[in-house]
Amino acid sequence: MAGANIARRNQRYVVWFYLLNLLFAWWGAVAFGAQAHRILDHSLYAGRLLHGMDISVLGEVFARPEFGSPVGSSAPATRLAVLFFVISLLFMPGVLFGYASDHKISREEFFRTCAHNLWRFLRLLCCFVIIAGIATGVLLGIQGGVVKAAEHTSNERLPDILQLVGITIIFLSATAIRAWFDLAQTDTVLRDQPAVRKSVAAGFRMARQNWASLLGKYLVIALAAAATLVAGILLWHAIVPPRSVFGAFLISQLTLFLLLAMRFWQRATAVAFYARHAVEPAPEALPASALAAQLSR
Amino acid sequence: MGPKRGLSICVFVSMVACVAQSSPRTSAAPPGTTIPNTISAINSSTPLSQRVVHYEIDARYDTKTHALDGSETLTYHNFTGQPLDTFPFHLYLNAFQPTATWVREGKREATRGQNFARWDPKNYGADEIESFEAVGQGDLTSQLQFVHPDDDNPDDRTVVQVRLPQPIPPDGEVQFKIKFHDQFPKVLERTGWDRDFVLGGQWFPKVGVWWHGAWNCHQFHVYTEFFADFGVYDVKLTVPQYEVVAASGIEVGEVKNSDGTKTVAYHGDDIHDFAWTASPHYRVHEDRFQSSMGPVKLIFLMQPAHWSQLERHVHILREAMDRYDRWYGPYPYKTFTMVDPDPGSQAYGMEYPTFVTSATSWILPPGQRELPELVVEHEFGHQYWYGMVATNEFEDPWMDEGLNSYNDVKVMDSIFGPTASWVDLWGATASMHQRQRTMYIPVPDFDPLTRMGWQFANFDSYAAISFGKTASTLLTLEGVIGEDTLRQAFRTYFMRYRFTHPSKEDFLKAIEEVSGKDLRWYFSQAVYGTEVLDYEVQKVSCVPLDWYKENRHDKKGETEYVSDVWIHRKENFIFPVEVEIKFDNGEKVRERWDGKDRWVKFEYQKRAKVVSAEIDPDHKIYLDRNNFNNSYTIEPNTAPASKLVNYWVFVTQFFAQFLSWWLA
Repeated sequence: MAGANIARRNQRYVVWFYLLNLLFAWWGAVAFGAQAHRILDHSLYAGRLLHGMDISVLGEVFARPEFGSPVGSSAPATRLAVLFFVISLLFMPGVLFGYASDHKISREEFFRTCAHNLWRFLRLLCCFVIIAGIATGVLLGIQGGVVKAAEHTSNERLPDILQLVGITIIFLSATAIRAWFDLAQTDTVLRDQPAVRKSVAAGFRMARQNWASLLGKYLVIALAAAATLVAGILLWHAIVPPRSVFGAFLISQLTLFLLLAMRFWQRATAVAFYARHAVEPAPEALPASALAAQLSR
Repeated sequence: MGPKRGLSICVFVSMVACVAQSSPRTSAAPPGTTIPNTISAINSSTPLSQRVVHYEIDARYDTKTHALDGSETLTYHNFTGQPLDTFPFHLYLNAFQPTATWVREGKREATRGQNFARWDPKNYGADEIESFEAVGQGDLTSQLQFVHPDDDNPDDRTVVQVRLPQPIPPDGEVQFKIKFHDQFPKVLERTGWDRDFVLGGQWFPKVGVWWHGAWNCHQFHVYTEFFADFGVYDVKLTVPQYEVVAASGIEVGEVKNSDGTKTVAYHGDDIHDFAWTASPHYRVHEDRFQSSMGPVKLIFLMQPAHWSQLERHVHILREAMDRYDRWYGPYPYKTFTMVDPDPGSQAYGMEYPTFVTSATSWILPPGQRELPELVVEHEFGHQYWYGMVATNEFEDPWMDEGLNSYNDVKVMDSIFGPTASWVDLWGATASMHQRQRTMYIPVPDFDPLTRMGWQFANFDSYAAISFGKTASTLLTLEGVIGEDTLRQAFRTYFMRYRFTHPSKEDFLKAIEEVSGKDLRWYFSQAVYGTEVLDYEVQKVSCVPLDWYKENRHDKKGETEYVSDVWIHRKENFIFPVEVEIKFDNGEKVRERWDGKDRWVKFEYQKRAKVVSAEIDPDHKIYLDRNNFNNSYTIEPNTAPASKLVNYWVFVTQFFAQFLSWWLA
């Protein structure tokens, strides 16, 4: 629960990130929205979209040449989704620093920490991509081979079951690696560790020594996130009338906000875990003046 | 092995004897070559078709090599009215070789489930004639010559031709004795093997059709299907005893052989093809349908993993048979076999006379009706539009696939209701007519319906036109002549042309005859042409009559307006349309426009403003490419677009969060 408490104390981060998430997505939908309004606003036929979910009419909308190719029309949204990821990476050091602090850090502290750790986080990202890429690639290869072999049997269910098992294993592996690198990022920020390989090693040691506890916490939160998503979509379907755009907006945004909060809960859990299990005690969050002096070295 | 019907060895022997003793006809052929006048496989006391051919095939299938050795005796009755000295034969399995036209086209366009870049030679197919004799005219094996009537590919071996030393006189008969060797491909184009399953389709040398004064025997193309004469089939299949076997026609006997094999005999009357399947895994269920001509035994061969879906298969088949029987005419055969093929084998969704393959998966929610409902219904529909009304699938694919697609809409709508006949799942719905429209509208103008199968611009156009446009054309025609009239026209067409090979004009004339209308204006555009239909409400304007007065105020019900509604024909398909104009006092006006000019303006002077204008207010024009511009409301309704934008934002946000969750 330590992680949950940290995340709750610092819920402003979730709010800010959520607003960025919404802003970028809305920005990415501007061109699409303009076309959609142009085609649909004065059309009686468009009313069918408000009578439940007629997927053939929906398909007809997206097939309109005004939208261009699916790749072309979704390109702005994709670019802005990537931008949100970049921003998340950029601002995460400040969030971790804030989580580790026993006081509300100033805006200056936040941004200084972000700037100070930017290059380190980029290097950590590279390490993560290499390690997670290799692990996931190997597992995908094994899964593909096993499923292909299963397809040669007459048991139709076997390939699907193996596929599901494979996805579960890959998910567990990816979660473990993510937890490891969350610890490494925390180590980088809290120890002001310039050599990211040392943070990666420290994160690995810490995760390995307590892997069941750490992975358990991460999995519980991930499953809670999945349950939130499913529940949100079901509620959207069950209680929001098809005509209610505002109702759909509210419930979809609430779902997305909670999803984002779950990820920050994981982050806070990593910070709490780090604080508890670090071999050397994690330094207290420094006063702004000391931090500034340290950062300026 | 499930409950196995079938007759005893005695019945088998007597059946063979019966076939041999069948009533002779007047002919120039030697005794014993006449086409049997049997009625054992149909609910009729007389033959239903002009039985041009009689195939007697004895085949042994090797499950290890996926090869088949067969001997075929084909008796051909010359009903052409002229002497025949040349006979072409289809050798369809030769399409599955790298140099064949089918592969050339498939490589260009891609075909179901086959990556030609990774095509293992052991998965090729072949059909080789080992010996060919015309009874009374000697061995003609050396006279066989491959021909390629449709293209200049000298390596295509899907049509072989023989010239007889002596022509067969009109009303004469000739008997061919052919020994052949098949190598089945790993399933391609719904024939072949996969694991321990086999589907034997297009597997024996089959004579072409004398049609419209010439032989019609096309090469096998990647989009095209088949064309053959009606007749009688007596087929004996020898397979290992552990196999569960099913085939076209009725099973008339089974003999267990001492070498661990069994020979199963089938007989079919008034059919034009013969397919079979074998697998040790099938679970068999039998049911019964009472058609207006008599009982039909329904045989379901299910994969064990799909057994729980048996009821869905039985339900949709019985409901479809009921509609077809009531609407168009009886299913006259005594059996109908539905095969659930090996999972992932690409053998799904294929029609043969009295025998079809379906498609399903072990996990399918009931509200999605593409699988198995639509596939089962569609393949059964082919018993009418292909099986009995045996149009030329090479040259007129729209006449089997398209007419069947139209009837998919009618049957599925009738069973599941018109708004969710295709999908009704978790609040999402889709109708069958929208499914057909959606196929058609992206590719509306490359080819007419009447394009020969292999001459379509590409696969998308073939599918869009043959299936989607035909269905949309006929649905639109309902709006012109009435749904009941079109149904009556279909019934007339079916009853008149069943067991024959009608042409496109036979179908179109039947519609004109029943409706009593000259519909050439429509057929010339929708059937023979590539015209595209798109009407739009181009503009609506309302101007107060006293607009020029100062300090004027609009008062509802008092102010007089001049309202104009412009309707624009955007494309080149001319079609009469109705337009409904609604006013803010609740008044509705319906206008009719012949559509011949490019635009029309309707003008009104009323104490009411126009609220909306809508073309085709009863939604009867399924060919219209863009339904969104068919109406215009003065007041915008932003809710539909906002709803879509909300989806778009949700998906984008989720994607962004997903990316950040794992990478940031």
